[in-house]
Amino acid sequence: MTALHNLTIAEAAPLLKAKKLSPVELTASYLSRIEAFDGQLNAYIRVLPEQAMAAARKAEGEIMKGAYKGPLHGVPIGLKDIYNTKGIPTTGHSALYKDHVPEADATTTRLLAEAGTILLGKLSTWEFAIGGTSFDLPWPPAKNPWNLAHDPAGSSSGSGAAIAAGLAMGSMGTDTGGSIRGPAAWCGISGLKPTYGLVSRRGILPLSFSLDHGGPMCWTSEDCALMMEVLAQHDPLDPGSADVAKPDFAGSVQKDVKGLRIGVVRHFFESDAEIDPEIKAGIEAALVTFRELGCEVMDVTLSPLSAYGDVAALISRSEAFAFHEETLKATPELYGELARQRIMMGAFIRACDYVNALRERGRLIAEIATVFESVDVLICPTMPGVAPKLGDLGNMMSRSRPSFTRVFNLTGSPALSVCSGFSAAGLPLNMQIVGRPFQDDLVLRVGSAFEKATAFRDLRPAQWAQQALAAE
Amino acid sequence: MVSDPTLLTIREASTLIAKRKLSPVELTKACIARTEALDASLSTYVAFTPELALEAAEAAEVEIGTSGPRGPMHGIPVGLKDIYDTAGVATTGHSNLLKRRVPTEDAFTVTKLRASGAVITGKLGTFEFAIGGPSFDLFTPPARNPWDPARTTGGSSSGSGAAVAAGMVLGATGSDTGGSIRSPSSLCGLAGIKPTYGLLSRRGILPLSQSLDHAGPMCWTVEDAALMLQAMAGHDPLDPACADVAVPDFTEKLDETVKGKTIGVIRHFHETDHQAAPPVLAAIEQAIAVYKSLGCVIKEVRLPPLMDFAAVGLIIMSSEAFAIHQADLRATPELYGEIARDRISMGGLLTGADYVQALRRRQELCAAVAEAMIGVDVLLTAGSPFPAQAIDKVPKWLMYQKPSITMPFNVTGLPALALCAGYEAGTGLPVAIQLAGHPFAETTVFQLGHAYEQATQWRVTRPALLAA
Amino acid sequence: MSETISTEAFQVLLDRAGISVSPANMEEMRSAYMMLQAMRERVRQPRGYDAEPAHIFAPAGR
Repeated sequence: MTALHNLTIAEAAPLLKAKKLSPVELTASYLSRIEAFDGQLNAYIRVLPEQAMAAARKAEGEIMKGAYKGPLHGVPIGLKDIYNTKGIPTTGHSALYKDHVPEADATTTRLLAEAGTILLGKLSTWEFAIGGTSFDLPWPPAKNPWNLAHDPAGSSSGSGAAIAAGLAMGSMGTDTGGSIRGPAAWCGISGLKPTYGLVSRRGILPLSFSLDHGGPMCWTSEDCALMMEVLAQHDPLDPGSADVAKPDFAGSVQKDVKGLRIGVVRHFFESDAEIDPEIKAGIEAALVTFRELGCEVMDVTLSPLSAYGDVAALISRSEAFAFHEETLKATPELYGELARQRIMMGAFIRACDYVNALRERGRLIAEIATVFESVDVLICPTMPGVAPKLGDLGNMMSRSRPSFTRVFNLTGSPALSVCSGFSAAGLPLNMQIVGRPFQDDLVLRVGSAFEKATAFRDLRPAQWAQQALAAE
Repeated sequence: MVSDPTLLTIREASTLIAKRKLSPVELTKACIARTEALDASLSTYVAFTPELALEAAEAAEVEIGTSGPRGPMHGIPVGLKDIYDTAGVATTGHSNLLKRRVPTEDAFTVTKLRASGAVITGKLGTFEFAIGGPSFDLFTPPARNPWDPARTTGGSSSGSGAAVAAGMVLGATGSDTGGSIRSPSSLCGLAGIKPTYGLLSRRGILPLSQSLDHAGPMCWTVEDAALMLQAMAGHDPLDPACADVAVPDFTEKLDETVKGKTIGVIRHFHETDHQAAPPVLAAIEQAIAVYKSLGCVIKEVRLPPLMDFAAVGLIIMSSEAFAIHQADLRATPELYGEIARDRISMGGLLTGADYVQALRRRQELCAAVAEAMIGVDVLLTAGSPFPAQAIDKVPKWLMYQKPSITMPFNVTGLPALALCAGYEAGTGLPVAIQLAGHPFAETTVFQLGHAYEQATQWRVTRPALLAA
Repeated sequence: MSETISTEAFQVLLDRAGISVSPANMEEMRSAYMMLQAMRERVRQPRGYDAEPAHIFAPAGR
């Protein structure tokens, strides 16, 4: 049998349901791994062993009584530490909120608890989901499980690292400019930024209201689909939440992709921006796989990548500054340097710049909708390269290397990052799959079909764990 | 033979037209004659197009003669605020900047009005770009109030207000970003509705502030406003804010009893937040008495301070207006009148964070109003806190000094109707109340407005100017 | 009472907006801006970080 921590949710669920796997045993196994390895990895800000074990015992009791709730029942997960947890500090990885104890769960926190998940703890993030890999905060930054000297990307850094390292079966991240997909890419896992409005943001610390998304990060796209079954619920308390029927995520990922039309946004990575040749080779190989699976592959054209970056930056910086200005003026010293500097840029943006950015955003949304009239999904890179050395993000974040992920925060499209192989140095390669609004199920289906057709999900980052063991 | 067809309501005129007792050509000619007699003193039109109007009236007459009227607007003369695009006829926003701008397409609502058979008489004056006025430094002077030409019409739909009150047209289009339909309707003694945000398309209407702009009709009576709104309504997928909702028959409840309807009076708006002039306060109390006598339930409603709505509206409006005008303001500031230039320029001084904070507050205000309206059919306050001022004494920064009483319903998007509620003793100037309803509940707003008009005599009085 | 702004600081704002005003108009605009300042303060309510409502956008297809 596969080691417990290498089980996917889809593999564990039938065992849990059939009472062949005990939630208590499973949770204890994860807690001991966290205890053994997280000192190296810093994926967790706060581990909740007693609470997790209590929840596991409760889940076990329920399942034994035949009250099985579904595929997440008894599944150990972690939450990025900007998801409110009632009675448990929710810090945003910031000194400013070090002692912030919410009085209520985020809607998603509650939905996951109601589905029977076991909360292992709160995961590291870039400060307030914006600060970058920082060393001047109350907690150290997370590291990349594939190579501890490398960066896991952010801002959902702990969420990505924990999944790749087998320190949680599923996790929640948030994504304002790529914060789910970036860590999913560099940590070699599957991460979905759902359609804007499909998953509630109520009780998640906002960064930029009109670009913020919450979403799942798991080892496989199939697991993300199982998480989405629970997460996709209308929430009247999030004014951005859409009241739409839940797609059949779990059913969709079992279907094949024959006949689907895949549009490759080739100019994004061939002329608009430079990417690592290994990433490009990974995508080309993936396109061959998709053709073999019966997909029709064609090139499509959107506005140049640079058209999106500035628009997104004007919107996100304005909104982030509006949100933080009071505390930034009162207690700037409680922010890390990176978060403070990045958020303060918003002070210089004029209202007309923001309004014009919104107008341009409308144009970009209309444009992508036209492209989606002739294709079912788009493919482009998630990140231009593999994980660099820890904290060495300068180049990756600058205007000279525009972001492939921000594009879809602007358009609100569902966008999934999957692992498309490994570099010569053993670091994960990445690819982004994007769909029409509220066709998250189709995006996950394409991701899952790719994962099943390739062997990349069989390789785990065992290397670091051995190093960690040796260090003990 | 009708003695003076220009004094008919749309309902009356259309009934006579349907019975072949009134000819659209005769009606249009009477409106043209009225305009020729009064427009020199009222400066109502930016571009009067009597030939086009007569052509349309003749076509209407032929069609009605053979196949009957298309509906109540068929053959009815209406004017368009000069921010509504008209194919082949200049649409200037009453600005030197666009003096020679001739659109190739009609605005969506203009297409709808033409399809209803309405006879378009021309383009009516407005505050420049629906924000700057009354201005004397534009290519034509500002419209004057038919009740007293030394007074302002209110704005920005100034020509629309004056033309309807003066009987030059039976209805006119207006637009309303902070009160630009309701203010001139109040000061000119009309019924004007700013419908629910998203009910009417704004495509082809010069924008001032996309998230606050509304189109709407201005007429002599509430019933007429309902008939004209009917002709303008319809989903337009090319206005991203236009809601895809079924358009009801706006007149369907007009004759239903209002007994048992609940009216929420927002006293603090007009009594303390922006204290209304005594004749306005008296008119509101009288209106409350009328509604009581009709069997309505009156209760007092408290909303957040009027200034909160005004601040949110002003910040959003200024930011969006500056974003639209930024390039022209920099390149050719001299092509703007002073008032529009100065008011729009203020938006350049705001930050993105100001705008975002205003949006956040806007959501809270919407939620607060929605909660206060539970169990209430319509809200009641003043249409304008004061009757028309002298046209050369309108303060340029009034919206900064005193909170606008109309802006709350732009900020919340609720349908709001201004209607005449009497006349100031001595001056004879109209005073008005304002009724606001639930989203897309225009029928109820019209029902209560119509019931009030039916129970009072205000619609009998016309400006003295018309008797001369 | 709204805060005041110096002529110099106000000129910086005008420059940033790309607006030129006549000296005569400058004082009028500056006093109007001070009233606008009060409104800017007014829309800034004290809010906790999980305060809703936030503002949003609607993706196509919603």
